[in-house]
Amino acid sequence: MNEIIGVILASIISWINFVVIDTYFGLPEAPGVKGANIVGDSIKNRGGNLSGGFFQGNILCSPDASAGTLLASMGVMVLGFQGGLIAAFMVYIGNRLCADPGYAGTIGALTTTVIIFSCSFLGFTHIMFVIGMVIAITTIQGLNHSYSSKLLGLIAKKLNRETKLE
Amino acid sequence: MVSNITETFILLNYLIAITLSIVVALLLKLPFVPEKPIRFSWTKSALFPTPIFAIGILAIFYSVNFYWFYDGIILAVIIAILSGLFVKYLFDYVFPKPNTGEYNE
Repeated sequence: MNEIIGVILASIISWINFVVIDTYFGLPEAPGVKGANIVGDSIKNRGGNLSGGFFQGNILCSPDASAGTLLASMGVMVLGFQGGLIAAFMVYIGNRLCADPGYAGTIGALTTTVIIFSCSFLGFTHIMFVIGMVIAITTIQGLNHSYSSKLLGLIAKKLNRETKLE
Repeated sequence: MVSNITETFILLNYLIAITLSIVVALLLKLPFVPEKPIRFSWTKSALFPTPIFAIGILAIFYSVNFYWFYDGIILAVIIAILSGLFVKYLFDYVFPKPNTGEYNE
């Protein structure tokens, strides 16, 4: 497969994987730690959405499905299928150290391992997913917080995970 | 130590580790799933995180090509049993729940 097309497709797959899993496991609903609350309020004050702000604060403060997706891609690249399983285990330990129950991060890492393993039959390489995940996380955290938080808030609303806090 | 183990056999060992760790956790009277809503639950259960410990630690051994006897099955069984015991008896000591109550600043 052409590398550029592969990276674009891997970015889209990684983006959907981590956003859907993180939203499903309630990241936009409440800030897990005080830092996530501060990030959420700050994004809201800059014209963003509070649910999306909590999502961004939570993925900043603990290794959720975003970190799980990235670490699992790197694990699979270094050690193959088993690297993804080690990444899931390490992400779980990281989650517990960050006062997080660990569902989103661990399940994100495991789904990524399965996705990369399945996509390898379609011509995707492991490195495409590492680059793809870096691009995916940049679109959420690195371009414009107010726009990305509004998009995350919309997805949270669709999945019935909008915050009830004001 | 055996070095020519097929991928199918390794996959089978992981399935053994997952299944056995869940069975051991259930025998130790851990709940099968955390209480609802699961996404905010801190309850340790047979389904999460017991198999995560089993496959994670087994993957560390397999990744350094340490399979031990019978193509890694014995290792999978031992790690699955130890994972169940760890989650039941040592988990709260190693990973205590965060204090969500009042704190002094």
